[in-house]
Amino acid sequence: MDFPTEIVGDKGYIRITSDLDTEVAGEALRAAFNDIYEQGKRTIVLDLSGAQIINSYGIGKVLMCYKRLKAENGVLMVKPLNGFVKETFELLMLDKLLPEEK
Amino acid sequence: MSVASIPPSILLADGDAQSRTMFGDFFERRGWVYEVVAELELLNNALENSCYDIVIADVAMPGLDSLGLFKEILQKRPTQAIIAVSEQASYDEALNYFRNGATDLLARPIDFPWLERVVQQIMCAHRQDERERLVCKFVTHERTEMVFSCRDIVELDTVPLPIVSRLQAIGALDQSAALKVRLAVQEAVLNGLEHGNLELESSWKEELEDDGGDRFSTVRRERLSDPSYAERLLVVAIQYDGVMLEISIKDQGQGFLNLSTDPHQVIAADVACSGRGLALMSSAVDEVFFYNNGSEVRLRKATNNARRA
Repeated sequence: MDFPTEIVGDKGYIRITSDLDTEVAGEALRAAFNDIYEQGKRTIVLDLSGAQIINSYGIGKVLMCYKRLKAENGVLMVKPLNGFVKETFELLMLDKLLPEEK
Repeated sequence: MSVASIPPSILLADGDAQSRTMFGDFFERRGWVYEVVAELELLNNALENSCYDIVIADVAMPGLDSLGLFKEILQKRPTQAIIAVSEQASYDEALNYFRNGATDLLARPIDFPWLERVVQQIMCAHRQDERERLVCKFVTHERTEMVFSCRDIVELDTVPLPIVSRLQAIGALDQSAALKVRLAVQEAVLNGLEHGNLELESSWKEELEDDGGDRFSTVRRERLSDPSYAERLLVVAIQYDGVMLEISIKDQGQGFLNLSTDPHQVIAADVACSGRGLALMSSAVDEVFFYNNGSEVRLRKATNNARRA
């Protein structure tokens, strides 16, 4: 499984195209993140619109990305969320941590 | 009319006039019920206003975002059969259609005998689902027990929950409730696997390695290769009494609960990479009970039947 990435200006984008609830999906996120990170981008935006569900495993992987960026004064952002993924982010107050890219 | 004798109903979305005629002639000869749309707007209207056994969509139809369409359809009707029609799909494109919910893929020129076979298979599965739905309406008690090794769980990725699909199909769980039950079970299974059977420490997730991985994942892989951990069992027992759905997940570890923590407490927005599973579990079902220091978790969810009773 691969998540498509794109560089636009000084930002890198990762499009999550499946639920983020398995080791396979978590590894795909890590690989996509590494791809952009190694190109020197320190503002990375996750588009989670392709995920219907995110579990604690997926959230752990997202936060790992967040911490790697934060350690270098970078920012992890999300595209506007919806559905159950939005509910999960709000429940765990991750919406306060990861700014939305309008 | 019995379920078995109902002809398939088909929505054909195709931008090519000649192709539409060929499909139409074929459907007529087979006695299938069908509707044809040639424009995107009409396709959206048809999907909004009617239900079809099968949607056949030409992915090259002008203006059509086929993958977006598949996703949209399946969000509303998770069991909708969709056949994609493509001029010449590459392996990657075909894979993408399947990953996004296509039931089958037809290449042009259309192999109509093959199409007939695919439609018959889909209808056969629909009829089986319909029979199961009918049976589920009359179930007053059902119990299933599944036993998995740690390796089985990792290979399966998720624990199958056919009862949840059946309850959703008869309206006893709505889509959101069904999704939440699946999430809660997934969290409990993950806890049982990782913290119970594999005895992994959450704090290892914070220990990052040079390649962006972490100690938790490394030890997880090692223990899944070690039979003394990997062959430990996880028992999932599902019980439904016509009103309440109860799912118990039991591992063979020492239990993951630290008595000083409250598993029902929603954690603050810190950046720890772990510790959210219990909060998610508790928010997704009506009740969560922990036994034997957390080596058994029981999840309870009242179905819509409880509200009607």
